[in-house]
Amino acid sequence: MSFFVRGIILEQKKEPMLTRSTLVMRHEYEYFDCDFPDIALDELSREQIIELARLAEIVDESDGKLLCEKLEKTDLGEGGTLIIDAVDDEPYISSQMSGCIHHPEKVALGIELCEKVLSPEKTYVAMYKHIFDTNFSIPKKIGNYKVEKIGGRYPAEGRVYRHIPKGKNAVVVGACAMLHLARAAEDSRKMTSCFITVAGDAILNPRNVEVPVGTSVERIIQLCGLNEKPEVIIMGGSMTGRSIFEPENEVVGPTTRGIIALSRGYHNPSPCIGCGRCDHACPKALSVSTMRKLAEFGDFEKLTRYDAALCIGCGACSYVCPSRIDVAATIIKAKKQMELAKKEGTL
Amino acid sequence: MNESLMFQNAPHVRQSESVRTMMTDVIIALVPIYVMAFFYYGPRALLLGLSGILFCVVFSAIGALVLHEKISFDLTPAITGLVIPLLMPATVDYFVIAAACAVAIFVVKLPFGGTGNNLFNPAAVGFASAAICWPAKVFSYPAPLQTLEIFGENTAAMAQSPAYSLALGAVPEYEVLDMLLGSVPGPMGATNIFVVATCGIFLMVRKTVNWITPVSFLLPYSLLLALFPRIEASSFDSLCYELFSGIAIFGAFFMLSEPVTSPKRDFGKFMAGITSAVAAFLFRYFGELEMGFAYALIIMNVFSPLFDEICEEILHVLRRGGKLKKVFFEKKPKEKTEKEEKLPFVRVLKKKKAEEAPAEAVEENTEAEELSEEEITEEPVIEVSFDETSEEEISEEENEEQEEKEPSEDEKTEEEAAV
Ligand code: SF4
Ligand code: SF4
Repeated sequence: MSFFVRGIILEQKKEPMLTRSTLVMRHEYEYFDCDFPDIALDELSREQIIELARLAEIVDESDGKLLCEKLEKTDLGEGGTLIIDAVDDEPYISSQMSGCIHHPEKVALGIELCEKVLSPEKTYVAMYKHIFDTNFSIPKKIGNYKVEKIGGRYPAEGRVYRHIPKGKNAVVVGACAMLHLARAAEDSRKMTSCFITVAGDAILNPRNVEVPVGTSVERIIQLCGLNEKPEVIIMGGSMTGRSIFEPENEVVGPTTRGIIALSRGYHNPSPCIGCGRCDHACPKALSVSTMRKLAEFGDFEKLTRYDAALCIGCGACSYVCPSRIDVAATIIKAKKQMELAKKEGTL
Repeated sequence: MNESLMFQNAPHVRQSESVRTMMTDVIIALVPIYVMAFFYYGPRALLLGLSGILFCVVFSAIGALVLHEKISFDLTPAITGLVIPLLMPATVDYFVIAAACAVAIFVVKLPFGGTGNNLFNPAAVGFASAAICWPAKVFSYPAPLQTLEIFGENTAAMAQSPAYSLALGAVPEYEVLDMLLGSVPGPMGATNIFVVATCGIFLMVRKTVNWITPVSFLLPYSLLLALFPRIEASSFDSLCYELFSGIAIFGAFFMLSEPVTSPKRDFGKFMAGITSAVAAFLFRYFGELEMGFAYALIIMNVFSPLFDEICEEILHVLRRGGKLKKVFFEKKPKEKTEKEEKLPFVRVLKKKKAEEAPAEAVEENTEAEELSEEEITEEPVIEVSFDETSEEEISEEENEEQEEKEPSEDEKTEEEAAV
C-alpha cells in the first residue's frame, strides 16, 4: 500500500484560473527586423528559426535559459525526444497549461518549428494528470502532438522523462516559449510578456494573466483585484515560491510562474511530535525528522551521513507536518550552510 | 500594504490536519470506551477518567510554572490522563491514578523536555509503576454489570479475570463472545474488544494512527499465541482467550502507536511492532504479571531510536546502490574529465589556456578531475538517466576516435623506425 509510495497528494486548486481565458495587460508590442521577412513558415531553415528565437529574445520559462542557445546546443542524436513542459504540479499554478489549452494552434506551430531544428523522433506535451477539482478534461492532443499525462504524487517534474525510450536523449522546453516562438515567426514579435497565474483566497478575480516582463507585483494584483487584505504575498509557485514584502518593488520575469495572495498565513508552530509523516512524504526517502533535529543542532557531519545533499527542496515534508514546522526550510538552510562549509574546507 | 505582510517559509499550502485535530481524534475514539465502562461499572468509571485528565493537566501546569514556561493548551496530557484509568480496574483508588499520572508527567515527560521529547510512553510507565507499587489494588477486578460506589470503601463483588486464570494454566470459564463484548472482569477499558477495535480502526482510517504499527504488532503476537498455547484447548480457542484478555489490543491502538516514542520510518515501525510482539509474548508466557504488555512497550521504546538508525543504514545503502553501480560499471575516472570539458565554454577556455601555457594545463586537468569526482558523488541518483546516456555515447565516440588515432601514431613510429 502506501509503504513504497513516496510524495504527497495535493489538492490542486487550479479552478477557476484554468478554464477562464487569459487576461492580457495592454502594453506596446515590440517588433524586430529580420533579414528574411518573406519566407513562408514551412520553408524556414534551421538557422533561420534559431535566428528568430535570438531576435525575439525568447527565454524558456521552464529553466530560465535562452531558447536560441538551447536550440543551438542541443544535439538529440538518433531517436531523441522533444518534451514540451506543461506539467504545473504545484497547487494554484496553471500558467503553462492554460497557454497550451487556450492557444493550442500557436503552441503547435511553435513545436513544429522547434521540431525542425532538433529533428526528434518523438514529440509529446507533458501535463499533470491529477486534477480532481475541475470538470475540465485535459485535451488528448495539442495540434498534432500527443499529450502525455504525468500521473502520481507531487513532485512530478522528475517523472517527465518517464516516456522516453531507453538510452535515448531528450530535451525539455517550456510550452510558453513555444507560444512566443510561434508569435516571433508569424508577426516578428519580441517576447515582451510572460504568463502568470494570479490566485489565492485574497484575490477577487483569480486569472491567468499575460503581462509585460518587468511589471510590478502590485500592478498585477491591482489588475485582478483584492477582496481582503492579504497577510502573505508569494511570488513563484505555491510550494517553492518565496514570500515578498514590497510588492511595489518586486517585478516579474519570464520564469515567474505565479503570484499568490493569501488572507492568512501559518502561525505558531508546535513542537515536533515525531509522527514520521515527513519521512514518509519525502520523495527522496530521506530521514527528514532526524535531519531536522540535526540541522537545528548544527551537526553537519552527521547530516552528510544522512544525505542532506540529496534534498531537492520540494517542500513535501513541510506540507504534511501536523505541527506546522518549517521542516523543508530548516533542511534547505542547513544544506546551504553545508555547501559553504565544504567550500571553505571546514567540513 | 507592506507593513502588514508576513514572512512565511516555502510551502505556502499546508495539510489541514494539525496536531490538534490528531489529538481530538484520539479523544473522540476514547469516548465510546468510557461509555462502555460507564455501562458496566456505573458513574465511578467516568469519574476516574475525569480525575485522570485533571491530575495530568494540573501536573503539567505545575511543571510549566516551575520551569517558567508558558502554559500551553496542548492536549497530550489529557490523553495520558484518559488512557491510564482505562488500564486499571474500576475499583481502583483515586490516589493510585494520581500517583500514576504524577509518574507519567513528572518522571517521564517533563525532565526530557515536555511534549515531543519523552523517551518512554508516559501512560505505560505510569501504569507500570502503579502496578509495581500496589499490585493488589491494580490487579483485583470487580465483576462487571454492577454499579460501584463513587467514593469510600469498596464493597463490590470481586472476580477472577480471564488473564489471571490463564496465568494459572486454567481455561477461563467465560464465553468468547462475552469476552468480545467485555462483560468479563478486567481493566475497565480493555475488555470490550469490539468497541476498542472499532475505535482503533477509526483512528487508522483517519490516518491519525499509522496502520503499520498495530498490524505489525497484532499479527505476530497472535501467531505466537496460537503456536504456543498455555492451556489445554485447541490453538484457536487458546488464541481467542489469550488475545481478548489483557490490554494488548487496547494498547496496540492507543499506546503502541503513540508517535513520539515509536520509530519514525515505516520499516522501523514494522520492526518495533514485531519486537514488542515477541517481548509481550515472552512476558506473558514466562512472567507472572498479567499485564506484561506495558513492560514490552517500554522495552520497544528503548529500542526505537535504534530501529530508526538501522532503517537509515539500509536506506543509505539503497540510495548509494545506484551510484555504486555507476561508479563501478559505467563511469571510469577518465570519462569524468571529459564531462567537464563537454561544456562548450569550458572547452574554449581550456584550449586558449593550453595554447598560452601548456605546462599549467596539466595541473588544471587534475584539478578538474577532483572537482568532477566530487560532483558526481553528489548527484541525485534518479534523474540522471538521459544525461548519462548522452555522456556515454559521446565518450564512446571519443574513445573510438582515440582508438583510431592511436594506431596511426603507431604506424608513424613504425614508419620512422623503418626510415
Ligand atoms: S524538501 Fe527535501 S527533505 Fe523535504 S520532502 Fe522534499 S526532498 Fe525531502
Ligand atoms: S511531520 Fe512534523 S511533527 Fe511529524 S515528525 Fe516530521 S517534523 Fe515532526
